[in-house]
Amino acid sequence: MDRSEKTVTTLGDMPSPRRRWTRAALVGLGLVLAGCAKDAPQDYFQPKGPNAQKIDDLQRPVFYIAAIVGVVVLGAVGYIVFKFKDRGQDIPEQSHGNPKLEIALTILPAIILAGIAVPTVITVFDLDRKDDTECIINVTGQQWWWEYDYATGDCGGVNIPEPIVTSGELVIPVDTPVLLRITSRDVIHSYWIPALNGKRDAVPGRLHTLRMQADEAGLYTGQCTEFCGLSHARMRQAAVALDQADFQSWVDNQLEPYVAPEADSLAATGEGTFIANCSKCHQVNGIANADGTPVLSDPDLYVVSGVAPNLTNLLTRTAIAGWTFDILTEECRTTLWETKGEGFGELYLQGVTPECFDEVALREWLRNPTGMKPMFADATNLESTGGKYRGMPNLNLTEDQIDQLIAFLIERK
Amino acid sequence: MFTTGSKLFVGATVLSTVGAIVFGASVGGPTGTLGTIGLISVAIAFGFLAGINFFTRDGNVPAMEPGVEVNAAAAQPPVGRSMWPLVTAVGVGGMAIGAVSKPVVFKVSVILVLAAVVEWMIQGWSERASSDRAYNDSLRKRLLHPLEFPILASVIAALVIYSFSRIMLTIDKDAGRWVFIIIGAVITIVGFVFAAKRGMSKGTAGGIVAVGLLALVGVGVASAVSGQRTIEEHPHITTAVCLGTASEAEIEEVDAKGSQTVAAKSSVIANVYLDETEHLFALNGGIGTVEYQEITVPRSTDVHVLFHNDSAEPRRLTVHLGTFPAADGTAGSEIADCTTAIEEGGEAFLTFRLDKSQAASSTPYRLTVPGVEGQEIKLLVP
Repeated sequence: MDRSEKTVTTLGDMPSPRRRWTRAALVGLGLVLAGCAKDAPQDYFQPKGPNAQKIDDLQRPVFYIAAIVGVVVLGAVGYIVFKFKDRGQDIPEQSHGNPKLEIALTILPAIILAGIAVPTVITVFDLDRKDDTECIINVTGQQWWWEYDYATGDCGGVNIPEPIVTSGELVIPVDTPVLLRITSRDVIHSYWIPALNGKRDAVPGRLHTLRMQADEAGLYTGQCTEFCGLSHARMRQAAVALDQADFQSWVDNQLEPYVAPEADSLAATGEGTFIANCSKCHQVNGIANADGTPVLSDPDLYVVSGVAPNLTNLLTRTAIAGWTFDILTEECRTTLWETKGEGFGELYLQGVTPECFDEVALREWLRNPTGMKPMFADATNLESTGGKYRGMPNLNLTEDQIDQLIAFLIERK
Repeated sequence: MFTTGSKLFVGATVLSTVGAIVFGASVGGPTGTLGTIGLISVAIAFGFLAGINFFTRDGNVPAMEPGVEVNAAAAQPPVGRSMWPLVTAVGVGGMAIGAVSKPVVFKVSVILVLAAVVEWMIQGWSERASSDRAYNDSLRKRLLHPLEFPILASVIAALVIYSFSRIMLTIDKDAGRWVFIIIGAVITIVGFVFAAKRGMSKGTAGGIVAVGLLALVGVGVASAVSGQRTIEEHPHITTAVCLGTASEAEIEEVDAKGSQTVAAKSSVIANVYLDETEHLFALNGGIGTVEYQEITVPRSTDVHVLFHNDSAEPRRLTVHLGTFPAADGTAGSEIADCTTAIEEGGEAFLTFRLDKSQAASSTPYRLTVPGVEGQEIKLLVP
């Protein structure tokens, strides 16, 4: 570059102090106003269940007290800085300590902290209650998705005769204290649905419990909150609360026997493609080989965590791959997310209808999963995992095979 | 013409050459060949040294040469005794032995050679740093003591630990505690004597410690050579024990030292009770008093159940982990795990893992108590 072309910043080019202050104020204002965003589904100041409400009842007064203390301290510091700025004046008389002030400044915070401690301890014990549990669900984390196993027995007045296994979306009955038994199959994760309760770590070999309850039918989102590897940011989840009748319908649908695709259809070809390419890891309950023997997946032989999502009712869920990529069109997704209470159950139980199905993400996922979601699923580098994949590998499917699989999977409702 | 040193080496060369000829002619077989090669090698080495000595004329400097008063060998400060050539030679020999025997000998020898070369170089340099021998010596110490002391201390500590461990592995288990007591007492007494007798010379104290160290290492080497004592393998929990197909004696021994209580009671997927009427049931955590006859278990992860035996008989909880085809395609046999037999009022943890769904097993996953008929808890693995 020619020396004459160099841009030289001089004091004359610098913005004036007033302009600088204006810019800083605008940035600060923007940050403050961001807290007022309404489209913030994971805002923990919007509780939608009694457990989250208890947390909110505790955190709000603590927040207000902390805000007042913060404002007073910062105001005092600011006042002192400007008031006693060095203007060449004489150094004032020096004194050593002020016992009364120091005692007051020790006692006052102690009283505030003690006042906060009492409701905190009460809330902690209250949140740990399990004796009112009406439903048990095993929640297991692995890189990078959540699996849910529904224990048999009564669940909020709905009988679950056989275990149900699903992933991504935790479906629970409204107004029912549900006990989540949370663990992990590989590294430490953390389960959090901010609108319904606090977070709970999922630790391999340990079983942590978390009570979950929703006041109103609706979809409540969350995400893993413990850094768990390459795709931690793409490990998301949702809780779906349904009225009892809708929950009963959901359970019934989950336990419906497998219906094979119509003969000679694209979906039927897709069934064969699924068995040949996907069934080593993914289970579709009831699917059988041509000779009638059941097709059973063996993900423990191929995947580090030992499991892969069960795809029996894939299209009853609204997102795939760790609940990260929507398979609903934006319009349907917005409608579903914004509907609460009356009408939500009906909408949700429709599953992913042909009108609402957005196959872009599913197609791309089948084409290149490692490109969509970073994983350690490189088939040429499995030495450290004993030959097993950590995440879904690229199966190098042809476009025809992808068409067949989509036709097959869209019927998994 | 020949200097004194050259004469010595020429004589040694001639002697070893003659020796080689005589030995080679008189001793046959592999021994003769090997000995002759060795003596010829010695003759060549002496010849080489004689040549060097002849060329340098023993380092003599003519009296008329300029600077003779500082360059003459006699003008150099006498060098100190050095063990490093010897250590280097031992190391090189060890490398050769190690190359054909054990890799560990070779590796230790390489370390020895490297350490000796460094010591040798620094000693050689420091001895010519000035004409003040005391100063030269202090230079060497300043450079090498920070390395020598910690390394030497580590080596001695390792020797002590290794020797002691060999001794403890060799002697009888009951004798071990007496050895501990006696050695500990001896060390305490010796330490007390050292502390009490302040006039004791460094040499005496060092000698006592050296004798103790040598004794320990000596016994340790002898113990290592004789090998460790026979350690009896006790029977442990196996499928046969859990399913009751093992011998009575084996089962009895497994149960003999079983713990009857557990400290950790959290993280359990269910508490399993065998009540006084020998009724088996599970309480899922958080469900209160609802009795379950089946537990839903996530697959491919460790789960724990806590077994409480409230019946009058000692009982064990057995988990049936399914039956799968063997690697050769034949029908496999059932796998099981269990607690030891638990006395009345006792508790035990049972940890298990089910990697495959229940549909993959030809026998059901379940919890049973051997000896209690008609009672089981199903394990459901979706």
